[in-house]
Amino acid sequence: GKSRSEKLHLKQRQIFISEFPDARAAEILARDGPNALTPPKATPEIVKFLKQMIGGFSILLWIGAAFSWISFGIQLAQGVDSAFDNLYLGVVLALVVILTGIFAYYQEAKSTNIMASFSKMIPQQALVLRDAEKKELPADQLVVGDIVEIKGGDRIPADIRLIFTQGCKVDNSSLTGESEPQSRSCDFTHENPLETRNIAFYSTTCVEGTATGIVINTGDRTIIGRIASLASGVGNEKTPIAIEIEHFVYLVAGVAISIGVLFFIISVSMRYKILDSIIFLIGIIVANVPEGLLATVTVSLSLTAKRMAKKNCLVKNLEAVETLGSTSIICSDKTGTLTQNRMTVAHLWFDNQIYSADTSEDQTTQSFDQSSPSWAALSKIVTLCNRAEFRPGQENLPIMKRVVVGDASETALLKFSEVILGDVMNIRAQNKKVAEIPFNSTNKFQLSIHETDDPHDKRFLLVMKGAPERILERCSTIMINGKEEPLDSEKAEAFQTAYMELGGMGERVLGFCHLYLPENEFPETFQFDTDSMNFPTSNLCFVGLLSMIDPPRSTVPDAVSKCRSAGIKVIMVTGDHPITAKAIAKSVGIISATSETVEDIAKRLNIPVEQVNRREATAAVVNGMELKEMSAEQLDEILREHAEIVFARTSPQQKLIIVEGCQRQGAVVAVTGDGVNDSPALKKADIGIAMGIAGSDAAKNAADMVLLDDNFASIVTGVEEGRLIFDNLKKTIAYTLTKNIAELCPFLIYIIASIPMPIGTITILFIDLGTDIIPSVALAYEKAESDIMNRRPRNKRRDRLVNEQLAVYSYLQIGIMQSVGAFVTYFTVYAEQGFLPSTLLGVRVDWESNAINDFEDSYGQQWTKYQRTYLQWTGYTAFFVSITIQQVADLIIRKTRRNSIFRQGLFRNKVIWVGIFSQIGIALILTYVLVPPSFPCPPRGFQYWFVAVPFAILIWVYDEIRKLLIRRYPGSWWDKNMYY
Amino acid sequence: MARGKAKDGDGNWKKFIWNSEKKELLGRTGGSWFKILLFYVIFYGCLAGIFIGTIQVMLLTVSEFEPKYQDRVAPPGLTQVPQVQKTEIAFTASDPKSYEPYVKNLEKFLRDYSAEQQTENIVFQDCGDTPSEYKERGPYNDIQGQKKVCKFKREWLENCSGLNDPYFGYKDGKPCILVKLNRIIGFKPQAPVNESLPPEVMAKYNPNLIPVHCFAKREEDADKIGTVEYYGMGGYPGFGLQYYPYYGKLLQPRYLQPLVAVQFTNLTYDMEVRVECKAYGQNIVYSDKDRFQGRFDIKFDIKSS
Repeated sequence: GKSRSEKLHLKQRQIFISEFPDARAAEILARDGPNALTPPKATPEIVKFLKQMIGGFSILLWIGAAFSWISFGIQLAQGVDSAFDNLYLGVVLALVVILTGIFAYYQEAKSTNIMASFSKMIPQQALVLRDAEKKELPADQLVVGDIVEIKGGDRIPADIRLIFTQGCKVDNSSLTGESEPQSRSCDFTHENPLETRNIAFYSTTCVEGTATGIVINTGDRTIIGRIASLASGVGNEKTPIAIEIEHFVYLVAGVAISIGVLFFIISVSMRYKILDSIIFLIGIIVANVPEGLLATVTVSLSLTAKRMAKKNCLVKNLEAVETLGSTSIICSDKTGTLTQNRMTVAHLWFDNQIYSADTSEDQTTQSFDQSSPSWAALSKIVTLCNRAEFRPGQENLPIMKRVVVGDASETALLKFSEVILGDVMNIRAQNKKVAEIPFNSTNKFQLSIHETDDPHDKRFLLVMKGAPERILERCSTIMINGKEEPLDSEKAEAFQTAYMELGGMGERVLGFCHLYLPENEFPETFQFDTDSMNFPTSNLCFVGLLSMIDPPRSTVPDAVSKCRSAGIKVIMVTGDHPITAKAIAKSVGIISATSETVEDIAKRLNIPVEQVNRREATAAVVNGMELKEMSAEQLDEILREHAEIVFARTSPQQKLIIVEGCQRQGAVVAVTGDGVNDSPALKKADIGIAMGIAGSDAAKNAADMVLLDDNFASIVTGVEEGRLIFDNLKKTIAYTLTKNIAELCPFLIYIIASIPMPIGTITILFIDLGTDIIPSVALAYEKAESDIMNRRPRNKRRDRLVNEQLAVYSYLQIGIMQSVGAFVTYFTVYAEQGFLPSTLLGVRVDWESNAINDFEDSYGQQWTKYQRTYLQWTGYTAFFVSITIQQVADLIIRKTRRNSIFRQGLFRNKVIWVGIFSQIGIALILTYVLVPPSFPCPPRGFQYWFVAVPFAILIWVYDEIRKLLIRRYPGSWWDKNMYY
Repeated sequence: MARGKAKDGDGNWKKFIWNSEKKELLGRTGGSWFKILLFYVIFYGCLAGIFIGTIQVMLLTVSEFEPKYQDRVAPPGLTQVPQVQKTEIAFTASDPKSYEPYVKNLEKFLRDYSAEQQTENIVFQDCGDTPSEYKERGPYNDIQGQKKVCKFKREWLENCSGLNDPYFGYKDGKPCILVKLNRIIGFKPQAPVNESLPPEVMAKYNPNLIPVHCFAKREEDADKIGTVEYYGMGGYPGFGLQYYPYYGKLLQPRYLQPLVAVQFTNLTYDMEVRVECKAYGQNIVYSDKDRFQGRFDIKFDIKSS
């Protein structure tokens, strides 16, 4: 076969050499486009920007601005002096929307950029034959008909039909999920392009050998391209936090609009002019909308995202930060995520005894009993019968981190012996190799013959390793405590038991044997011939077994148990063999020590699987083949009935089915994935997590998050952060909503009681966008009140970000208390200037009249209009200052929702203090420094800063009492109504 | 699936308003509503108590006789009677309807200045017919009872007193306005220093007088304003110092602030004439922002028919 294909290859090459010049390639390139996957259609930047401009509260503020301009127009036409105030107000409102929009857009762009850097990896090169020359071309220049050469380690640059191969194997795992490399040849073996052997696919890798092929598909027309476009067809679900924020925006907008409309009607029926009523409406909208809040939420999320990035969770989509926190099911890959992704020796069997080896990531010694002479013999075989070598120049690296040339098992054995014996290469040098038969699939063993390092022993040592049963066949004796003993049936039985036990743990077992060749038959000068095998390969001495596994990462069991206490179900989805999968699942705790699968129960009770009560089994290992035949209902049942589930031998396509099944249970599902065809599942999942090291670009593109260290434990840290930010956002929102009432009440009372306006619209913006911003971000730094990993994931439908209790407590209790405090300050300012509270009621019309310049106060003094306005502005300042002071108390009480502040610690979160000082600092600057002539915040005696202090203390005390009662009487009426 | 959810949502919404199964209105049963309302009644009751309490405590710190601060009200404003919208007096001399509001306003204002209102000697004190020194009346409290008040004779306003001419000159196209300085407790206006005064004011200088002067606001109106007559105490165009300081509503409930009547006897008809009136004194200041501080301006628009 080889020679024929070689001929064909030459023939084709000649054709292409003569017929495929660069010019033709350029034509085809122009027709088909570059050989690259079209990136998922990005929303145009301008659309993204405009979305920010109309999203959230922006619409309300635009309405406010529009009303301001309308009333400006009308007033201007009527020749009212103060008309321009409304113009400015409209401009300010528009500016607020535009600035917050720009901010949000910038934040989003920044997080998208982090991801963009991923896709800009070094451009792939391909070796192409064109114009009778071999050329290195960027892979995206390839066209259909190009002939490319590939070798081991290359990524396949396009879908190619192979015309020449030499020991070529490809890793199709990113396409099919099959982790075993598959051999490729020129033979057409199957109708299905995915099955036939003579096609290699774009983005898969050539593991070994070389091949030459003709490009048959490029870019989006490749198999991968079609899957990728399938992935973009899976709709992006709204993230939980986006839903929560939408809910919150609706709630606040609903309150704003209903109060606005209600008071519009009230003011119209109180015979206010329509224009005045519209101006009130603007005030009510501005007071009700927490202008700075959405920006604050964005900042809090991106702070958390930054924190998570430090812990190796790179969040692509800011909202995913919280989604991770509400995750209730994690579907995790096994290899590399739960495991270390490297074979490691886990167990040894010699002297009829099983020994466990250390499998942790940073092992430096092995502690099992190494005194037996059998071990000395075994270690020699392990060291010598091994072709793997360390790459030179890594002497300073820890052994486990060194790069090895060789396959996975040999690497494991090399590192194992290096750890125990030290300098393996030196040992090998002292035991010079004289002959060798490498492993092949017919022999299933590997053999080598060495001189010994004992200068007095002139015998050769034959060492052999391979499939245990094959090795045992070739042995007649077995070494027990260093002595060769005949291999009787009892000993063979012991071997079988050990072999089954190790195999049952999902480990790859190798048998080791040796033979000292007799000196008389094999003198020093003996020429070994591996083809004719002029040396014995039977009647050897069996020494021991070694078993290897890709061991779990040491942090994983802990992380899994954390998930368990956090009410998160961890489901393992792997392409691996069920036994291996189950063994790993057991060792990391995905299947707990006490739980059994249906098969386990059947085995224990010795009854057929069908007779087992399925409900008794808490764990389940589902094979991909079974899954294929299952209906959606059956899958649902499995997901519902079993707490601990492992899916083995699954294809990445089945991952999507599993994810959908979990979502049908109402779960928030996190899915890990690395392959290209994991992308549909990653997209479908509530949060797709791509592997940073092993992950393909497509997976990273489809994912919401990238796990930089591929470690499952990092997901759990992410969950913790996500839950914390949810709690903290609650606090932020509660903090922000509170003062809205203190801003709203003045308007309502102004309308109803006709008192001079207590606070101006611009002053409200000073609070919302000035003093309150840093404190509300500071709450994002608050530590968790209790172990947040000890409670169940939040229920999407019931545990809202802004629930009734939060809104009611903030609006109707703390908010009202703040308003009272601010009004006391307001009345104090007016009283001390000559207007006692009783004289203020009902004065609005005269107070605001430009014609009255001898307005009488409580003492008989007379005020001009300007003097009154100036006093009114002083009132604004006092009101503003009072709200600020009380917001300090509000900030402190919001640190906790249940615990006493004193338990949480007043000083643990330093950022809160930054917030408090900034709040007061900004207020001081606004009132005492920035006092240009028309600034509506004239300073007034410092004493007004303290009028509201008793109310601030009252708020604190009241909230402490609330928390105390909640802690004392859990489940009581108080708890139900007051805990938010 | 999305549609199914929406339907579900609709049902929930109706159910939320009135759930007949659980007898819940807006998510709460009657008992639950009662409890929560009771809580809020108590809560707001307490808050109202605290509010009223603190306001009362605050009021205790405020004297009933004089305000704690006067930095926002002083220096005083200068205003005119009749009070007009958009600072404009516009009328037709031949149409009584057109000036009726002004006349009524003036008449109403001057009622307190009538002689029959100033007969009680316990309240009123004759402070002479010419400007004289401030009348200090002791501390600002009621230990000595109410304070006396200087009489202000309405006759001093002559043509503008309404005694001879009930139409205050409006009928003849010679409108009167009354000028007064805003009341401020304890404020003692100081007579101006000579040099700063316009020559017309200098002519009638008196060391105990706060003179008032009206003139064309714009240069080009100077010849349209015609003759301006001033009527004040003892013929002086200003406020005598014996009316100051003011002791406040509680101690001088019937205080009469001194007036100056200004009559424009020869205003040009059928055009807007802008007039500015100013009071002069060392502690009477003017401000660009407050156009009624120590001065005011007013437009006259008298139509001939």
